Amino acid sequence: MRRTMAACSTVLLTVVSAACATSGQTETKQADQNAPQALSFWSTGGDDETATFQRAADLYHQKHPNVTIKVQTLAWSDAYAKLLAAATSRSGPDIISGGMTWTIQFGTRGAMVDLRKYGADSLKAQALPAQWESAISPDGSVYGVPLDMSTMALYYRTDLLEKAKIEPPKTWDELTAAIDKLKAAGVKKPYSQDWGNLDWIGYFNYLYQAGGSFYTADCKPSLDTPQAEQALKYWVDLYRKHGAPTATVEGSDALDTGTALVVAGNWIAKGIDVNKPKLKGKWAMTTIPAGPAGPTAFIGGRAIGVTSFSKYVQTGADFVTFMYSDEAIAAIADEAKKRNISYISPRPDKIVDGSVFTPEQAKVFEASIKTGKAAPGCPGWDESAPDVAKQLQSAILGKSDAKTALAEAAKVMARNAG
Amino acid sequence: MADIPMRSRLRRYGTSYAMLLPFLALFAGFLLWPLANSLYLSFTKFDGINPAVFTGLDNFVQLAQDARFRHALGNTALYVVGSVVLGTLLSLCLALAFNGTGWLHRIMRTVFFLPSVTSSIALMLMWKWVLFPSDVGLANTIVGWFGGNAVAWLATPALAIPILVLMSVWGGMGYGMVLYVAGLGSIPEEYYEAAKIDGASTWRQFRHITLPLLRPVTTYVVVTGLIGAFQVFEAVYIVFSTGANTVGGVLDSGLMIVPYLYDQGFTHFRLGYASAIAWVLFLIIFVLSLVNLRVGRAMKEL
Repeated sequence: MRRTMAACSTVLLTVVSAACATSGQTETKQADQNAPQALSFWSTGGDDETATFQRAADLYHQKHPNVTIKVQTLAWSDAYAKLLAAATSRSGPDIISGGMTWTIQFGTRGAMVDLRKYGADSLKAQALPAQWESAISPDGSVYGVPLDMSTMALYYRTDLLEKAKIEPPKTWDELTAAIDKLKAAGVKKPYSQDWGNLDWIGYFNYLYQAGGSFYTADCKPSLDTPQAEQALKYWVDLYRKHGAPTATVEGSDALDTGTALVVAGNWIAKGIDVNKPKLKGKWAMTTIPAGPAGPTAFIGGRAIGVTSFSKYVQTGADFVTFMYSDEAIAAIADEAKKRNISYISPRPDKIVDGSVFTPEQAKVFEASIKTGKAAPGCPGWDESAPDVAKQLQSAILGKSDAKTALAEAAKVMARNAG
Repeated sequence: MADIPMRSRLRRYGTSYAMLLPFLALFAGFLLWPLANSLYLSFTKFDGINPAVFTGLDNFVQLAQDARFRHALGNTALYVVGSVVLGTLLSLCLALAFNGTGWLHRIMRTVFFLPSVTSSIALMLMWKWVLFPSDVGLANTIVGWFGGNAVAWLATPALAIPILVLMSVWGGMGYGMVLYVAGLGSIPEEYYEAAKIDGASTWRQFRHITLPLLRPVTTYVVVTGLIGAFQVFEAVYIVFSTGANTVGGVLDSGLMIVPYLYDQGFTHFRLGYASAIAWVLFLIIFVLSLVNLRVGRAMKEL
């Protein structure tokens, strides 16, 4: 019995860490603006990305010698939990960056500052409208603003397309025709999707390209439409009829192991030549194929915001605004170039000008972003997204038909919309 | 004890109590307080940031109707049965095969024990690499040698539980083996000699001497295996996560109770609900461990 008790106590010790949290909010006392200020900025991503933002922070320090901003890396895998722990204990970073909708999640619960009070809504004019809309909270609060941008491209193997005597596909019909021709030419792996495979992000492109959307303009779920069904049927066929793999293979690995057409994020563009030297000269990229309603691509990115428990809210907000200045973007892009990172600024006018990409690549991303749409900023979307993904998976894996899957997904979205 | 006056008891045991104080303080601060707090939170709606709101039994009622929780529970049950049964059997087989004192046996025991002393995060990252899709992963490379097509190991729902069981058994059987080897060493040799004189076959010796005398070890291996299996986390979180905020893999095929608890608490801000899950898990393990020990004792009395 004693052993059972001891063992069970161990179980509890492990699982009740959820309870080690305190509650209660207090207004954080703001520090004197002229005294030396040391701010910490928790940046979700890799160490190389941290270094690029540190360059901007150092530039800010040059202009405001009393302010020092230290950028620290949070790995994508545990950033969210660490930020939640910081918000719960109301201690930690002054500035945070992470997934586009994270700041809304923390902000609606009182852990982020509404940057409108500090004039950050003026940045709207410089940001990409689709991305800005995604970053603002349903009630209009600006808890975070886009820090960078990500989008998708169709990467392709020039040698394999030559072998099948085809051009990179520009439409849905051309895509399926290209897959057939590649197969006929002996290419075993004609197509795969790196970003959003079996997930709502992957479906997002097809949905909007067919003229559909996740929600209507007034945030009513809109997945039970003929457009959404047409998109899902086409997407499901890519897997079931045309053999797209259900397992996600990282884009450059897919190209390296003989996949001819790969839909992947912009972040692999700079690394392919370095990580897969054998692919040098054998790959290129273009915009993802357009659907019957046009060429929409998904736009993602990170948001940056200021925590409500920071002692330096005013300075934090000023730094966030500074990140949109020409000089800050130039400094980040310069560091990104040195470190071979595929950085895209949150300002659409800076995608080609001062880009870290080759002119051809920059043009592809610019075209993709021009037609881009970002994740819906509707109430309940974050909660619904995993369930929507599951419904899409059940259609892809043949456990339900497109119409039923979409109706179920719409039901979940309606329930979570409150 | 009861009739000794308080003052004299204090005088006699005061130093001992004082020496126990640091431990008691840590025990209270890091175990009792979080336990009590989590029990309280399981009756509240708490997002981690705003103050908790008392909601009575709401979380538990909701849990009973939560299809995803039932799915996680079902998956966990399958996984626990698979990993405990197979793990215990293989531990015993390994112990029987390598319980000698020769160098070969020692090396084999070390080899099988290694995963138990390796960081589980490192092991899971290794598995992720083994099961990597396309031709890049080791498993698919081997499939390729035999002319097979690449398998989507982690994106095929039917394979999720078998893969998790395989990872658990592979990682845990060395530990069970060591316990069984110790158990085998404690069985007096005379029993076997007597049985041999009576003409008992090897199987009968195993069936009537080895197995019954290993019962305490078996109970220990099963109970600790059960507790470990119910708490499976890293395997799901590292190997089956498909994005920054999703657990459980394709169609939740690998979703287990603790990863679900994590998902609810740390990605959906439902710390009250997560605490309720923790307490349900505690009750399940508590009852199963009790049953197990009772069965073990009852069998001993037979």
